[in-house]
Amino acid sequence: MKRRVAITGLGVVAPNGANVPEFLDALLAGRSGIRAVRSFDTASLPTRIAGEVRGHYGAPLPDRKIGFALEAARQAFAQACAFGSAPSGRGGLSLGVGLELFSMADLAQQHSGRASSGSSLERLSFMQTPSDLCAHFLSHAHSLSAPPLLHVSACAAGSDALGAGFRRVRDGRADFMLVGGTDSMINPLGMAGFAALNATSTRNAEPERASRPFDRGRDGFVLGEGAGMLLLEPWQAALARGAQPLGELVGYGNSLDAHGISEPHPEARGAAQAMSRALADAGLAPTQISAINAHGTATPKNDPIETLAIHRVFGQHAWNMPISATKSLIGHLISAAGAVEAVAALVCMNAGWVHPTLNLDDADPACDLDYVPRVARRHAQDYVLSASYGFGGHNAAIVLRGAEAALAAG
Amino acid sequence: MDPPTLDPSACLRSKKTRKFMGTQDDLAVLAAAGALAQAGLTAEALGERAGLFAVVGYIPFNREDIDPVLANSLEGEHFSMARFSAGGFQRAHPLLTFRCLPNMPAFHVSANFNVQGPYFVSYPGVGQVYTALEEARAELDSGRIDIALAFGVAHQRNFLVQHHFSRVEPPEAPDTLWDAGACVILERAEYAAGRGARARAELVELTQRYTPHSAISEQTPQREQATGVPLREGARGPASLFTLLFDALAKGHSGEVVHTVDTRDHLSAQSRWRVLS
Repeated sequence: MKRRVAITGLGVVAPNGANVPEFLDALLAGRSGIRAVRSFDTASLPTRIAGEVRGHYGAPLPDRKIGFALEAARQAFAQACAFGSAPSGRGGLSLGVGLELFSMADLAQQHSGRASSGSSLERLSFMQTPSDLCAHFLSHAHSLSAPPLLHVSACAAGSDALGAGFRRVRDGRADFMLVGGTDSMINPLGMAGFAALNATSTRNAEPERASRPFDRGRDGFVLGEGAGMLLLEPWQAALARGAQPLGELVGYGNSLDAHGISEPHPEARGAAQAMSRALADAGLAPTQISAINAHGTATPKNDPIETLAIHRVFGQHAWNMPISATKSLIGHLISAAGAVEAVAALVCMNAGWVHPTLNLDDADPACDLDYVPRVARRHAQDYVLSASYGFGGHNAAIVLRGAEAALAAG
Repeated sequence: MDPPTLDPSACLRSKKTRKFMGTQDDLAVLAAAGALAQAGLTAEALGERAGLFAVVGYIPFNREDIDPVLANSLEGEHFSMARFSAGGFQRAHPLLTFRCLPNMPAFHVSANFNVQGPYFVSYPGVGQVYTALEEARAELDSGRIDIALAFGVAHQRNFLVQHHFSRVEPPEAPDTLWDAGACVILERAEYAAGRGARARAELVELTQRYTPHSAISEQTPQREQATGVPLREGARGPASLFTLLFDALAKGHSGEVVHTVDTRDHLSAQSRWRVLS
């Protein structure tokens, strides 16, 4: 027996918003969070811009993504518990999480024979902060007693985390799940690593105009950082405890390209499979999807292939759907991208809008769909598909139903 | 398995991908190749109906990869961002990123053996292997896939992983850390029977418990046990469970094998396998 899965809490820490209302406001206003990097001196790195989160989020360890995750989770639980009792039973965590933070400064210290011999906290984070610690901090903070699911499927990890948690609630394997993603690669090795791969935009003089999904002038992605968290629970249990569902997660699919290490399958096979599987999982026809939140990295290879995948799955209906690329506003949050973009898709759907794809001034002819250029648009939506495609051929898609449509379904 | 040599070239569909592969990728491809051969499965039989469930150890960095970066990023004894960005970062091997990312073993296995189905890629220890097994079992039970490749790989004989394990309580000596990769092929029973495959073992029971804890102040030693066949000495990270099964089959063991682990991250798990002669 499959259960409906309600979304009862949302939390977000993004470059253009420290919480969900701020984030929604920025999305609809087309307000970018991309600026010159301030957290360290980027000196003469080829890329010196990013979607940095402003403000400080306290965390037990000096790894920014831990603080982002704890704050986004706090918001999600606060919203979920604002009405009625708290979710009960055995809760779990499904988290897309970024790479271990590796400190060059600590390495230099070790090299010079001045290794840390301080507290257990200092020893544990000296030179390298293991990413799995983030999951344990979250589980501890919210007494989540099911074994945490950690996803390291690169840029698809956030969507995979939502999907795996969704299946656990739907199939009765968990009573509730905190799902989401968190990441920050805005550090010397992270910025330099992507720059060395020529993956990031070098439009340093115009930070807000640098992330240009589907535009002819795109020159790579812009790194972002942040976290997105959602609380999932069985629909009936949510209503019974007095919660107000914010929407419903109805389908998930993922796939492996089994093709190239850094380029997508030329016929968009993997991306199309992930979307088709998500639709099948939801029991929906392609024509029932009202809008898409695209992966939209603004890399030369990704955007046309993503467009091709949408054509393959949706046929004629591809022309009828607005498609938004959140990365145009906040950059690429890597392992957090799918989760933050799911939050964006859901809150925009519930508001009756689709947010714009910023900087889409001159569409690439190979990207021939309606990407909502520059300005937000009113658009009633029942279902939105949100997709993520990761380096190494990991593809994931989820389908969300808005609050109004979900409540109308009883 | 711990292969005597780590050259997966014979398993690669494109030899051009060899340069992108680090030790953890070599281990994953060799382990998957061995398991698939034993199962009598070829890439043609996999495709959309095969899923991949992988757990990879802590991120590896070899000293020789990072030292040139450091050497060109110091101002006196201190790290200098100016020197790093002016040239230090360019001293890193251009393919270093590919060779240490935790999702790359999954990529190489999927690309070389045509695995297009659902996946779950996790990190960093044997506790997460149990969550991967649970995901694999759920996918098989759902009927979305017929075949699941479940594998664990750990590249641990490098300076960063050794550094990590020297800090945990109690510390692990570098020479107790092994590089290891192991893979099992799980199939829906009807599918295996339909293709005339010989079942080598059956997963009878899998249990997991987790205690939320303070990751800083509540470190506990890892305890791993097995009955039926002995665990190998030393730490094999996420490869340990499947290495145990490999040993049971290699030694011709028949009967029950039970693996139990209490991990540093407060996961307690047990799996019970019926190994067939």
